[in-house]
Amino acid sequence: MARTLRRLTPAQGALPIIVLWALPLAASVLMLLPAIAEPDAWRQLQSHPQLWSALVLSLATGGGASVLALLMSVLVLAGLDRSRALPQLQALAAAGLALPHLAFAIGFGFLIMPTGLIARLIEGGTTPPPWVTVQDPWGLSLMLALALKELPFLLIAALAALARGDGTGRLTQERRVAASLGHGAGSVWLRVVLPQLLPSLRWPLVIVFVYGATVVDMALVLGPTQPPTLAVVIWHALNHADATVNGMGLAMTLVLTSVLAALVATTLLLLQVTLPRLRHWLCAGPSLLAAPRGMAVVTGTIAGLLMLAAILLLALLSVTPRWPYPALMPPAVTFAAWTTLGSSAAPLWLSLLLAAMTALVALGLALLWFETQPEGRDRWLIGLALATLALPQLAVAGGQYRLFLGLGLTGTLPGLFLAHLTPVAAYVLIILQGPYRAFDSRYMMAARSLSVPASTAWLQVKLSLLRAPVLTAAAIGFAVSMAQFVPAQLIAAGRYSTLPMEAVTLSAGGNRPLTAAFALCLAAPPLAAFLAASLLGRPRWR
Amino acid sequence: METTGMTFTLTRRGLIQLLAATPLAGRARAGEAWDGIVAEARGQTVYFNAWAGSPQINAYIAWVGEALQRRHDITLEHVKLADTAEAVRRVRDEVTAGRAGSADLLWINGENFRVLKAEKLLFGPFAEDLPNFALVDVAGKPTTRIDFAEATAGLESPWGMAQLTFFADGAKLPTPPLSMPELLELARSAPGRITYPAPPDFHGTTFIKQALAETMADRALLPVQIGRQAFTEAAKPLFEFLDALHPELWRNGKQFPQTQAQMTQMLADGELLVGLTFNPNEPANLVATGTLPSSTIAWQNRGGTIGNTHFVAIPINSTARQAAQVTANFLLSPEAQARKADLAIWGDPTVLDMAKLTPEDRALFTSAAAPGSVTQPAPAIPEPHGSWVPLIEAAWLERYGA
Amino acid sequence: MALSLEEVSIRLDGHTLIKPFTMRLEKGVIVTLMGPSGSGKSTLLSFIAGDLTAPFNATGAVTLDGRNLDGLPPEKRRIGRLFQDDLLFPHMSVAENLLFGMPRGQQQARHAAMTAALAEAGLAGFAERPPHTLSGGQRARVALLRSLLASPGAMLLDEPFNKLDADLRAGLRDFVFRHIAARDIPCLMVTHDRADVPPGGRLLLLGRGEVRDA
Repeated sequence: MARTLRRLTPAQGALPIIVLWALPLAASVLMLLPAIAEPDAWRQLQSHPQLWSALVLSLATGGGASVLALLMSVLVLAGLDRSRALPQLQALAAAGLALPHLAFAIGFGFLIMPTGLIARLIEGGTTPPPWVTVQDPWGLSLMLALALKELPFLLIAALAALARGDGTGRLTQERRVAASLGHGAGSVWLRVVLPQLLPSLRWPLVIVFVYGATVVDMALVLGPTQPPTLAVVIWHALNHADATVNGMGLAMTLVLTSVLAALVATTLLLLQVTLPRLRHWLCAGPSLLAAPRGMAVVTGTIAGLLMLAAILLLALLSVTPRWPYPALMPPAVTFAAWTTLGSSAAPLWLSLLLAAMTALVALGLALLWFETQPEGRDRWLIGLALATLALPQLAVAGGQYRLFLGLGLTGTLPGLFLAHLTPVAAYVLIILQGPYRAFDSRYMMAARSLSVPASTAWLQVKLSLLRAPVLTAAAIGFAVSMAQFVPAQLIAAGRYSTLPMEAVTLSAGGNRPLTAAFALCLAAPPLAAFLAASLLGRPRWR
Repeated sequence: METTGMTFTLTRRGLIQLLAATPLAGRARAGEAWDGIVAEARGQTVYFNAWAGSPQINAYIAWVGEALQRRHDITLEHVKLADTAEAVRRVRDEVTAGRAGSADLLWINGENFRVLKAEKLLFGPFAEDLPNFALVDVAGKPTTRIDFAEATAGLESPWGMAQLTFFADGAKLPTPPLSMPELLELARSAPGRITYPAPPDFHGTTFIKQALAETMADRALLPVQIGRQAFTEAAKPLFEFLDALHPELWRNGKQFPQTQAQMTQMLADGELLVGLTFNPNEPANLVATGTLPSSTIAWQNRGGTIGNTHFVAIPINSTARQAAQVTANFLLSPEAQARKADLAIWGDPTVLDMAKLTPEDRALFTSAAAPGSVTQPAPAIPEPHGSWVPLIEAAWLERYGA
Repeated sequence: MALSLEEVSIRLDGHTLIKPFTMRLEKGVIVTLMGPSGSGKSTLLSFIAGDLTAPFNATGAVTLDGRNLDGLPPEKRRIGRLFQDDLLFPHMSVAENLLFGMPRGQQQARHAAMTAALAEAGLAGFAERPPHTLSGGQRARVALLRSLLASPGAMLLDEPFNKLDADLRAGLRDFVFRHIAARDIPCLMVTHDRADVPPGGRLLLLGRGEVRDA
C-alpha cells in the first residue's frame, strides 16, 4: 500500500479530483450557457427597473462588509499578537464560523429590529419605535451582519497563515529584531507581520467580498427590498416558473459575476500600483506605536457577544410562539417546534452522513492532489474553486442539475453526494493549499533518511505536523456540507430530504420558533466539528 | 362564470358536459374504467409535491397518506417544497431530458398551472372523470373550473378554496377597515403601521389586485386578456390610490416586507397593525398555535376579496398516474374535505357543494367558530386574467421599485 | 555609555539557571560569553533585550548609561540584536531594511546615511535588491548594518556567525567588530567558537550557573 502511494504518477493523483469535482463543475457552468443566449432574457433584463440600483447595492454591501471585516481582523490580530489569548481566539473564531449565516441573521435581526431586544430595553413603551434598522435602504444592517459573520473566517485564515510562519519561529525572531530596532509592538505588526500576512489573505478576502455580494438568505432577512440586492432579484427570477424569467435571472448572474470579477481584478491591480507608495511608510523609521490590545479586546468581545446573543435569542425564539413588544421575557414557552424537529430525524442523519463523507473524500482528493502535483498546477484548481464560490449557488446548482438530469443522477444518493462535494472540495482546497505547500519538505527528508518507510513518515511526521490545517479544513468542509440547501434541493429532486431542505421549506411558512429550532439544529454539528478540530489540532506544546 | 371572452374554452367545456350527459351506459362504462384505475393503483407510490411551510398542512397530508395506504395500498410520499415553482421547473427539465417523473401529483394553481398547461406538461384531462368531482360546487364556486381566468380543462382537480383575508389584534383595532378607502384612512390615522409584501411575492400582487378591483372603473375588464395600453388606462385609479397610500405606510412606502410570513411576524411582534393571508383560516390557526393572541380578528372586505381555488395536477411524465388520480379523488371525498376544513386540523375551506352531499356527510362539516376566524365572509372576486399579473408587477416595480 | 548587570539571576521553573552575578560592559568593548548548550546564554540575552518570556523569569537590574531598563519594553531599550539568521525582512528591499530602524528624520539625510553605509560595507548598488538574492555573507553584513544604523546604545550578538562557513566567518567577524568598535558601544556576544573571541577581548564562561572570567 505504501509503495503504491509512492509510485502514483501525477496523472493518477489528479484523476480522482478532476473526475469527481473539476469536470462536473466545469460542465455545470457550461450547461448554463445556452440559457444565457436567449435574446428574450436579455430584453427582459434591460427593461428591469431594479437592475442597476440592485447591482450597486450588492457591490456596496459586499465591499463594505469585506472592508469592515478586514479592519476588525487587523485590529484584533494586531492587538492580540503574541498574547496568550491567541488559542482562545482561534477557538472562538471556529465557533463563530460554525454558526450558519441564516441563523446568525435571524438572531441578529431580532436584536436590532424595531421590535427587537435592544429596542425593548432602551425604548419600551407600548408601540415599537420607528427605527430603521433591519431592511434599511442603504443595506447597513446587512453589511454589519455580514462583516461580523465573516470576521471569524478571516481570523482563522490569518491565524492559519501566521501559524505556518511561526512554525519555524522566524516571525517571532523577526518581531524581536524589529523591537530591537526601536519599533513598538503595533508598529512591528503593521510593518513586519501584516505585509507578510496579506498575500495569504488575498483569496479569503475575495471570497468574503463575493459571498457578501451574492448572499441571498441574509439579504432576505436583513437587506432592503426596494431595491433588494441583485442576488435577491436573481433568486426571485431563477425561482420563477416562467422559463424566460429564469433566463433573465441567468443573464443577471452573468452581469453580476462579470462585474465582481472586474472589480476584484481592478482592486488587485490598484494594490499593485499603490503598494510601492506605501513602502515609504514602511521604512520611515521607528515608531513606538503600541499594540491596540484594548481596542482588540473590545472589538473581539463585542463581536463575540453579538454572536452569543444571536444564539441565545435563537434558543429563546425556538420555544416562544409569541413574543410581542415590549415584553422583555417570553410570555409563554412551548416545545412544539422541537417536537416537530424531532420528526425530522431521517433528514438529520442524511445530512450528517453526507457532511462526514464529503469532508473526508474532499480531504482525500485534496491530499492526493497536493502530494502528486507540482505546486505550479495548483492555480488551476484554486482558480476553479474560487470560481465555484464566486458564482451564485443557484446558477451553478442549476447547471449541475441539468447535467445530472442528463446523466440520470438526480434523485440518487451518489448524485446528492457529488452535489455536496462540489462546494466542500472548493473550500477544502482553498484552505489547505497554503499551509500544505508551505510545509518544509526537509522534515520528510529527515524522516526518510532515518529509514522510516514513506507512508509512516507521511502519517507520523507530515500529517501530524499539519494536523491543525487538515482538521480545520475538514471541519470547514463538514460545516459547508451541512449548510447546503440549493444544490441539495435541486439534485435530491424530491426523493431525499436533508436537514437544510426541511428547514427552508418550513421557514417558508414563517413559523419563527420552527425556523429558530432548525437553525440551532443546523448549527450544532458544525460547532461540534470545529470544537473537535481545535481540540485535536492543538500543538503538543505551546 | 361563463363570460363572453371565454368562447374558445366553452367548446372544451361543452365537450366535457356532453360527455357527462351521455346516457347511463356511458356512466357504467366510466364506473368500470374507474375500478380499473383503482386496481392498477394498488402498490404504486405517489410523490406528492406540495408546499410544506405549515406543519398543520404537513400533518394533514400525512393523514391522507395513512388513509390511502389502508384503503388502496397506495404509498404517498410528501415531497416538501418551499415554492411550487421548483416542481414546475423540475417537470419541465425532466420532460425535456426525457426522464421519468419525480413528481406524480402537484399542489398547484395560478401562474404555475398556466405555465404547465401552456407547455403541455400535464396529464389529462382527468379531473372531471373522478367520481367525487360530481360533488364539487362548480356553480357556486366557479373558480373550481377557472384558475386565474384560465380554464382548468380537467387538467387539475380542485382541492380547496383561498380568499384574501385580513387580520389584526382586535384589542388594538376594534373596528377593522372593510374596504381599501377605509384602509387608507386607517393608515392615515396610524402612519407606519400598515404595509403589504412587495411584488413579486404573490400575496403582495394579490393585495394590489384587490386594490385594483376596488378602484377600477370597469371590473368587467379583469377576467379578460389585457394589453399594455388598456392596462395603463385601467390602472390609473389604482396608482392614484397607491400614491396616496404609500406615504402612510411602514417606512413611508419606501421599503416593503419580503414575504407575507415576515409581515405576519411583524404583526405578532407589534410592529404592524394589519396582516393579510390567502387562507381565511390561517389567523385562527395562528391563534391555536399561540403565534397570535386570542383577541385576533379576521375579516374580508365588504365588497368581496380576491379568491381562488387551489388544485392538484398530474405531470405528464408521472409513473404513477393511476394512484395519483385515486389520490386526487380521495382528496375530494367528503371525509377528506371535512377533515381539511376542520379548524383544529387545517381549516381550509371545502370545494364541495353541501347540497350535493348526503346528510351524514354534511354533518362531518362542523362550522365551529374559533378565535381568529372570519365572522362575516364576503364573496370571492375571481382572479383576473393571467395577462394582468406581469403588467401589474412591472408597473409597480417601475413606480416604486428602485 | 556602559551596560551594567547587577545581581542578575535567571530561573526556570524554580530551578536557578544562572546564579546572581554582577557585570559591567564598557563602551567600545566586545565581551564574549561562552558556555555549554542549555546553560542559559541566549536566555540571558533575551533578558537584557527585554523580552524574556515564561517559563523563564529573572531578577536583577540592567542599566544602560545609568538608565535603569527595568520594565521597559524592547523597543525602548535601544539595544540592538543580531541572531544566527540574518532575519532580513523578506518583504522589504535591502534599503528598506536598513531604513527601517533608522531614527526618523529628513528623507535625504536618511538615504544618504544608508547609501554611505552600504558603500562602506562593499555593498554599493545593493539598495534595491530583495534580500533573498543576496548571499549568506552579504545578508549577514546587511543585518549588522541595519542594527547599527538604528543607533543602539549597546549590541547583543547571539551566535551571529554560526550559519556561515569558515572563510566567511573570519571576514564577517572583522567587519562586525570594526563597526561596533567604531560606534563605541558595549557589546555582549554569545558564541561557542573560541575563534570568535576578538584578540585581547574579555571572555566570560557560563558553567553550572556561574559566570566567571576565563
